[in-house]
Amino acid sequence: MFLKIKHFKRDFNKWTLLIVALSLFLSIPIFSILISLFSGNGEMWEHITSYFLFDYIKNSAILIFGTGLLTFTIGTSSAWIVAKYTFKYKKVIEWLLFMPLAIPSYIVAYTYVGLIGNGGTFIEILRDFGLSINRIEMMNIYGLIWVLSFSLYPYVYAGTRTIFQSYPSQLKHTASLLGVSNKKYFFSVALPLASPGIIGGMFLVFMEVLNDYGAAKYYGVNTFTTGIFRTWTALEDLQSSIYLSAILVVLVFILILIVKWLRGRRSYNLKQPNAIHKNEIKRTKLSGLKRILYLGILLVPILFGFILPLIQLVIWGIQTFDSMFNYDLIILGLESLSLGLSTALLVVFLACLLIYLSKWNYFKQFNVFSKIATLGYVIPGAIIGVGIIRTSKSLTDLFSFQFNLEIGHLVYNSILVLIYAYLFRFIAVAYNSIEGNTLKLGKNLSESSYLLGYGKIKTFFKIDFPLLKNALLSSFVLVLIDVMKELPLTLILKPYNLSTLAVRAYEYAEDERVAEAALPALFLIFLIGTMITLLNYKLKENK
Amino acid sequence: MKILEIENLSKSFESKFEVVSDCTFNIQAGNICAIVGESGSGKTTLFRLIAGLERPDKGTIRINGTLMSSDKFIRDIKDRNVGLVFQDFSLFPHLTVKENIEFGLNKNKDEKVEKLLEIIKMENFPNRYPNELSGGQQQRVSLARSLAMDPELLLLDEPFSSLDTQLKSKIRQELRDIIKKIGISSVFITHDIIDALEIADEIIFMDNGKIIRQCLIEDVFKEIKDEKIQNNMVELKKNAELILNALKKN
Repeated sequence: MFLKIKHFKRDFNKWTLLIVALSLFLSIPIFSILISLFSGNGEMWEHITSYFLFDYIKNSAILIFGTGLLTFTIGTSSAWIVAKYTFKYKKVIEWLLFMPLAIPSYIVAYTYVGLIGNGGTFIEILRDFGLSINRIEMMNIYGLIWVLSFSLYPYVYAGTRTIFQSYPSQLKHTASLLGVSNKKYFFSVALPLASPGIIGGMFLVFMEVLNDYGAAKYYGVNTFTTGIFRTWTALEDLQSSIYLSAILVVLVFILILIVKWLRGRRSYNLKQPNAIHKNEIKRTKLSGLKRILYLGILLVPILFGFILPLIQLVIWGIQTFDSMFNYDLIILGLESLSLGLSTALLVVFLACLLIYLSKWNYFKQFNVFSKIATLGYVIPGAIIGVGIIRTSKSLTDLFSFQFNLEIGHLVYNSILVLIYAYLFRFIAVAYNSIEGNTLKLGKNLSESSYLLGYGKIKTFFKIDFPLLKNALLSSFVLVLIDVMKELPLTLILKPYNLSTLAVRAYEYAEDERVAEAALPALFLIFLIGTMITLLNYKLKENK
Repeated sequence: MKILEIENLSKSFESKFEVVSDCTFNIQAGNICAIVGESGSGKTTLFRLIAGLERPDKGTIRINGTLMSSDKFIRDIKDRNVGLVFQDFSLFPHLTVKENIEFGLNKNKDEKVEKLLEIIKMENFPNRYPNELSGGQQQRVSLARSLAMDPELLLLDEPFSSLDTQLKSKIRQELRDIIKKIGISSVFITHDIIDALEIADEIIFMDNGKIIRQCLIEDVFKEIKDEKIQNNMVELKKNAELILNALKKN
């Protein structure tokens, strides 16, 4: 440390200053919540701890356990089948397995009530066949687990499939030579080796579960996120909602520690087969009974996570088409898209800036700030919203009392504040993906460019940018999808005159006009589906 | 005349352990110098310090008499006029052979690239991409890319480690011929003393971050006191014929 201080004058550069400034700017919501914790609890805090807090903790824990178990089972089983076997229409099934990500979980929640609730589509079909069932009760915590699991399993599926696909056949051959059965191979070799992907995917699932507002609110399940909203809006106690947020942040960090502990020090890296031996990753062709069974396993998540919700939405969409399809809907779609596009562009730009400033800064200790700035993804949207409201309040108070200036109109009800909140929430999505790819590129290419007389920025545009094109594009689309689906943060911070497809669908459902929510929801799914398809096409073209 | 002057150079990372520890040595202009040491002896870090890719904790580096770094000053990498051929060659994968070589050039691009392609015997492959080249060809392109900048000092990081044994011997000779033809002062690092004996004019032995011996190639066998070098000598004696051939050149 002494030496670093000794060389402060020599090694301090503009990048150091910029990384600290940018990171601090992006971390305002976190610091705001932390500072607020020292201002005492709110008026309703005692009431909340007496009547609600236990419920929030219990329900959130049950949700995490339930969705964890179900997404693990669905995600790993479908990943294994797709990675290890070939079968007819495999590409279509692979694409369909991802599609639940295109439907926000709160919209899936509405459709299930439409399918199997009182007078639901499925119940009516059963009646036509002479079976009399009034309804299947979905609007409880178990229904919520079902909905969230079938919406979110693709996170586990995606990470695990990539790892399963990378196993060389020698691994299986070695196990067979040692007399290991297929079952034992799966549970004691394949699954443990895939644990980084599984744990990473499940962590994302847990974060989405904790962030969910729309589905939990609709099903009447009290969770931390619904509690934060209720405390702030119905009980009008911002300070207590900040206390609740802080408890949730602590729970999230406990989850992070558990994930770190689960990953441990073991190495899961398999030596990748080189080009000559690539054909050694062999896949078995499915046939007979096994084929029916395995295809059945793949179709279950597609059916419950995508096809059934989509059918219900289409039925509702047709029923309400005349009244709902209008110029306003198109404008709403375009507004959502342009908000998503501009935010995604800004997020990818700032993520790149954070990554490269960290590289160019010689005081690596300061890079810890950039890590704090990327904590947004593990902090539920409601908390970020509350943090920003808190900061806005402090800012307006400061300007009002100290300078006699009213800046309320600039910080409240402003699209800039909403975009800033998205930035903090989603910068980690782009940051992690781009950083992973820069690590794969290594240092030598950019260092070669420096040695050949190029500066840092020119090197970025000449070398890194062309080689990171796919990663940048993927990050851009991922952030775009996340922004377009986002609900709690948008609900808290959106200006009065702005709406999104997600918010409009939620508002109709909240007004008990679930069928009318279908067209905005279908429009949203169409836009997200198009983005995913375009991304796939572009990535294949760039290859 | 000295092309490289290193004085009391040290570098440690987070662990506080000095990877390069109080190194002092000079290299004569026009020579090919080999820095020999085992893995972890600090030779790569020493190289990165010379190139400006790491920042020293203490000590000074001068190239051709110009101060490159000290406790108070550090010259930017792009202003050092040092060429570095990385162990993995680090060719830009999205650029062709020609585009790689001319990457750092501002004027007389075609003329210079043509000349260098001739020197590295790759006149017929200017439009190939790096993934379409063999290991030896990639190394030659990487060398040409560095030479295009007319550096005062050329650094080569383990230039033969990724080549197979048969190719190694051929490439060693080719590399020495190219360097001598251009007449550039060069330093390369290697863990294999045979590499050093075959192409270097002088050798620096490094161990645990310290310079333990520096000598001309013909003095390698004279009065060796260090146990590690003696052990290397036992290995060398097994390859007597190779050593003799190497010594004949000097």
